[in-house]
Amino acid sequence: MRDARRADGRLPLTIIGGFLGAGKSTWLRHQLHERHLGPVHLIVNEAAETPVDNLLLGKAERVEVLAGGCACCAGRASLVAALRRICAEHDASGASETGRIVLETSGLADPGAIAAALAQDPILARRLVVAGVIVLVDALHGAAQLAEEELSRRQVEAAERIIVTKPRGVPSEALARLTRTLRRLNPAAALEAAELGVPECLPVDDEAEPYDLPETASMSAEPIRPHRLRLAGEAGWAGVSVWLSALLAARGDDIVRVKGVVTSPDGRLLLQSVRRIVQAPEILPAPEKDAGPAPEDDVIVLIGRGMDEERLARSWRTFVTG
Amino acid sequence: MCSACGFPALPGHWTDAGAQRPGSRVRLRFIRLVIVNRLLLPYRLSAYDDGVTPGLQLMAPDGERVLVADLDTLWKEAARLAGTPIDPLSPRALPDA
Repeated sequence: MRDARRADGRLPLTIIGGFLGAGKSTWLRHQLHERHLGPVHLIVNEAAETPVDNLLLGKAERVEVLAGGCACCAGRASLVAALRRICAEHDASGASETGRIVLETSGLADPGAIAAALAQDPILARRLVVAGVIVLVDALHGAAQLAEEELSRRQVEAAERIIVTKPRGVPSEALARLTRTLRRLNPAAALEAAELGVPECLPVDDEAEPYDLPETASMSAEPIRPHRLRLAGEAGWAGVSVWLSALLAARGDDIVRVKGVVTSPDGRLLLQSVRRIVQAPEILPAPEKDAGPAPEDDVIVLIGRGMDEERLARSWRTFVTG
Repeated sequence: MCSACGFPALPGHWTDAGAQRPGSRVRLRFIRLVIVNRLLLPYRLSAYDDGVTPGLQLMAPDGERVLVADLDTLWKEAARLAGTPIDPLSPRALPDA
C-alpha cells in the first residue's frame, strides 16, 4: 500500500473507526508492525483527555494525539488544524513518496461525519483524499452494540471495509449471524475478520438469520461520555481492582469502556475493559520516545452514562482511600 | 488446583495482576479485604479472609456463608444475598450528605 505521489498531489487519508473497545489500536498495531500500510503519519483521536492508545502504536513514522474531544464533534477544529498543518509540512518537504495519513478515531466518532467535515473544509478538500474507511466490529459485543447504539450502526454504514475483531471463542453460528447483519447494514463493504490484527476466516452461511435491529432509544437517552477519575491515595492497584470490579459488576451495561494506566508494585499496568470484560492487564514497557505524550499514571477514564465525575471521586474517596 | 478444596478453579483473575511476588500478593490480599468490607457494609454483608482458606468467605446477616474464588463471583453472590447489586455509586452506598 505504498503510494507514489498521486497525480493530483492529494494525500491519502485512511480513517479507522469502530465502537469503543472494538480493538482499533490492537488491529492497527499489528498492521504497523507488519508494515502493511507503508510509511504512516498516524493521528490518534481520543474522546477523553487522557491518551492511552498512542502507547500501543509506537511503530508509525510519526504519531500525534488529539485528546480531549471526539473528532466528529467537539474535537473537529483541532483535527482540521492538524491535517492542514500536515499538508503544509508535506508541501514544504517536497517528498516524492507520500505515505499516508491514518486517523484512528475515538470509539465515539462517526467516520462518516469526519469524512463530511473534511470535504467541507476548503483547504483539505483540495489537499486530502479519503482513501478508505475501515470500521472494526467486536465479534462478541458487536451484535448488542448494533442493537442498542445508533452510533455503532452509523459507523458500520460508513465503512468501506469492515473487520470483525476477536472472532476466536465466539460460536460460528453467532459469527455467521453477525456477518449477515453487517452485510445487510452495509452490502457494499468488504467484510473480513482478524484476531489481534492477523486475518482470520469468517464463516459463510447465507441461511443465518440476521439480528433484529430495533429502533434505538440511544438517540434520546443520555449520551455516552468520558469521565476521568484520579486514583488518589495509597491503595493503588488493590483499590482499583476491588472498586472497579464492583462497579462493573453493578453497572457493566452503562460503562462501556474503561482505560488507564495504574501503577502497581510490579510495574505500570495498562487497564482496559469493554463492558464487564476486563482484559488481563499488560505490564507496560518504559514509554518510547516520539510515541506522543505519555498518559498520566493513576488516572482512569470511564466512558459511559449514568454517572458523573464528582460522584465517582466521592465513591473512590469513601470506599478506597477511606 | 487443590484436590481438597478445588481452588483455584480457574487461572488467575484480572484483579490478581500487579502482584507477582509473594510479598505483594499478601499485601494485595489484605488491602483488598478492607475495601471489600467497606463496599459491603451498606448492604449489611461482610467478607472474611482467614489467611489459610483460598478465596474469601462472604457472610450474610442471617448467618449464610459463601466461599468465593474471585471478586467477580464475590459481587455476584453478594448481589444475590443483598437482593440488589453492590453498586459503589448507588444512593444506598453513597447517601447524600
